[in-house]
Amino acid sequence: MTKVPVMAHLVAGYTSPEISLEAARGLAAGGVSYFEVQFPFSDPSADGKAIQTACAAVLSGGWRVDDGFAFVETLRSEFPGIPVFVMTYANLAYKIGISAFVERSFRSGVSGLIIPDLPFDADEGLAAACDAKGIACVPVAAPSMTESRIASLAALRRPYVYAALRSGITGSSTSIDDGTLAFLSSLKASESRILGGFGIRSGDQSGALAPAVHAVVAGSVFVDIIREKSGEGGEAVRLAVQAKAAELSNPVQR
Amino acid sequence: MSIHRYFDRFGGAYVAEVLRRPLEELDEAFAAAMADRAFLAELDTLRADFIGRPTPLLHAANASRENGGAQIYIKMEGLAHTGAHKINNAIAQALLAKRMGKTRIIAETGAGQHGLATASACARLGLECTVYMGEVDVRRQQPNVAAMELYGATVVPVLSGSRTLKDAINEAMRDWAASFADTHYLIGSALGPAPFPDMVRTFQSVIGLETEAQAAEKGLKIDALVACVGGGSNAIGFFSPFIDRASPRLIGAEAGGVGPATGENAVRMTGTAASDGIIHGYKSRFLVDSDGQVAETRSISAGLDYPGIGPQLAALGESGRIEFTGISDSDALDAVKFFARTEGVIFALESAHAGAAALAEAGKLPKDAVVIVNMSGRGDKDIFITSPVFRPVQWRDFLKAELERLESGMDIHVFGGKK
Ligand SMILES: Cc1ncc(COP(=O)(O)O)c(C=O)c1O
Repeated sequence: MTKVPVMAHLVAGYTSPEISLEAARGLAAGGVSYFEVQFPFSDPSADGKAIQTACAAVLSGGWRVDDGFAFVETLRSEFPGIPVFVMTYANLAYKIGISAFVERSFRSGVSGLIIPDLPFDADEGLAAACDAKGIACVPVAAPSMTESRIASLAALRRPYVYAALRSGITGSSTSIDDGTLAFLSSLKASESRILGGFGIRSGDQSGALAPAVHAVVAGSVFVDIIREKSGEGGEAVRLAVQAKAAELSNPVQR
Repeated sequence: MSIHRYFDRFGGAYVAEVLRRPLEELDEAFAAAMADRAFLAELDTLRADFIGRPTPLLHAANASRENGGAQIYIKMEGLAHTGAHKINNAIAQALLAKRMGKTRIIAETGAGQHGLATASACARLGLECTVYMGEVDVRRQQPNVAAMELYGATVVPVLSGSRTLKDAINEAMRDWAASFADTHYLIGSALGPAPFPDMVRTFQSVIGLETEAQAAEKGLKIDALVACVGGGSNAIGFFSPFIDRASPRLIGAEAGGVGPATGENAVRMTGTAASDGIIHGYKSRFLVDSDGQVAETRSISAGLDYPGIGPQLAALGESGRIEFTGISDSDALDAVKFFARTEGVIFALESAHAGAAALAEAGKLPKDAVVIVNMSGRGDKDIFITSPVFRPVQWRDFLKAELERLESGMDIHVFGGKK
C-alpha cells in the first residue's frame, strides 16, 4: 500500500512551546512528510475558529516572531528529513521588510513560505526574495479562480502551489467531489507540486485526495487534537497526534 | 480590469485568493452601475425620500460668536435617516448588491451606526442582513443593537481578539469567503481591498457635493473643512470634491483617546506609533507592535476606535493635502456640551472630535473666515456613554430604578410603578 505524503499544519507555540514540540514529534512519528508551521497573527482573517482561537491564545502568552523562528530551528535540527514551510499573514513579513523576513526564514532553515494575503500578482517582492534564497514561495489557489488566472499562475512555474479545496476558511468540512478533482487537474498543468487541503480530517479523505495531489494538507484536525489533549500533558498530545498522522498518511485501501 | 489600485503607495487588494472573484465581480458591477442612469435615478430617489437628503448646512452663529474667530458652519449629516452619514453608503451598496442578484448582506460595525444603516437599508430593499459586532461594542452600543434587531437583522457578537471593530471585520471576511455566491459584504468605511475605498468614497461624496453647492448658494468662501476620521468614510466623502484643488484646507480629526502612549488612542497619522502595514486586505498606516501584530486602541467613540485608516486618506495625509490632528476624549466630550448648549445640536462622539478640531481652528482665524465641520452623526446613540460622565448621579438613579421596575414586573405606564 502506498503512503500518502502529508503536510501537517501546526500553530507555533500552541498550546505552549513544549506542547507544540511534542505535537511535532507525534506528527513525525506518524509519518508526515512536511511541517507547515503557522506564525500566529492577531487578525487571521482566512482561518476558522480552531486556528484563530489557537493563534489568539499563543499571542496572549506573549509569543514573538523570534519564538517562531526558534521553533523552526528546533524542528530542523530534530527532524532534518522533514522540510518546514512557514505559513503566516502579510503584515508579519511586511513589518520587518519582505526580504528581511525571507532572509530570516532562510537562516532558520525554512523550505517554503505560504502567505495567503500576498497574492501572486501583488506579492510585494516575496517570490523574487524567495528565489534569491532558494526558498519556495508557495502561492495559494482557490476553486473560484478563472481559467485565465490559473494559467497565469501556472506560467510562474512555482515549485509548489497550495490548493484550497473550497471557498471559505480553514476548519469547516470539505467534500472531495468531481468539482474538486477538476480544479486540481487544471492546476496540475502548472507542473507544480500541488499541496491540497482545507477541511481534511480522515484517512478516507486523504486517500481520496492522494491521487490528485503531491501532498495532502491537514491542519485544524491537529489543532483540535492538541487543544483537547493538552490538559493531559505532552505524551498524550504526542500519541493522539501520532495516531491521526498515521491515519492520514496510511489510509485504508479503498 | 485590475483590482490592484493604489493611492500613492497605499491601497491595493491583498486578499486570499478565494476573495478575488467576488472583488472582481464587485468592481465590474460598480463600474456598470455608475454608468447606468436607471441605477443612479433610483439612488437619487432613495437619497431624497428615504435618507432625507440634502441635509442642511447650518450657520453655527452662536457657537462662532462665543468661540471667537471664524464663522463655523455645520453640515448636518446626523439628520440623515438612522442618524449618521453611514446610510449614504449602506443604501447605495445594498442597491448595487441587489442589482448583482445577491439576496444576503453581511456587515461589520463598531459604533453600530453602520450596522444600523445597513439593517435599515436591507429592510427597505428586502435583503437578508447579518451584522458582525465585537462583543465589547455590543455591550457599549446597546441602543443600536436593539434597533438593528427591530429592522430584522441578525446581530452576531464577535468573541475573538479585542472583541471590537477589527475583529468584526475579520469575521465578516470569513463569512464572505464562504458565502459570496449569494452574499455581498457591505464594508462601512473607505477601507478594505479595492474596489471598496473607491466605491465608499463615491457613495459618500454626496456630502461634499452638497456642501459645495450649499456654500455657493450662501456665497461662502470656504477656508477649511473639518471631519473626524475613523476608517475615514465621512471625511473622504466630505473632502472629495476639493481634494484636487489647492483650497480649502482639509483637516482630519483622529481619536486622541486618553493619552499619547501606544494603546491609549487611535491616532495613525500623527505621532510615531503607526507604521505601514498590510491588514484587512489593504496597505495603509496601522497601529501595530514591533512584530506587526495589530495593537490595542482606545477611544471613547467606538466609531473611531480602529487601528487602520482608509488608504486614500493615508496617502493624502502623507502628501500634506490633508492635515491631521488628534483630539482627546475629554476635548470631544467638551465639544458635545458646547454645541448642544450654543446651537441646540448634539454631536455624536465621533463627530465631536471634528467639532473640537473646528473650534480650535476657527479660533485662530479672523471673523470673516469660514470653517465647515461635518457633523457625521447625531449623539442620541451615545446617551449611555455620555450620561455617566455628564450626570453620573441622576443616571445611576435612573438605571437602578429601571432595573428594580423590570425585576418586579411593574407596569411602565403607571408613574411611580404599580404592579
Ligand atoms: C457618527 C460616526 N461618525 C464617524 C464614524 C467614523 O467612520 P468613518 O471615519 O468611516 O466616517 C462613525 C463610525 O461608526 C460614526 O458612527
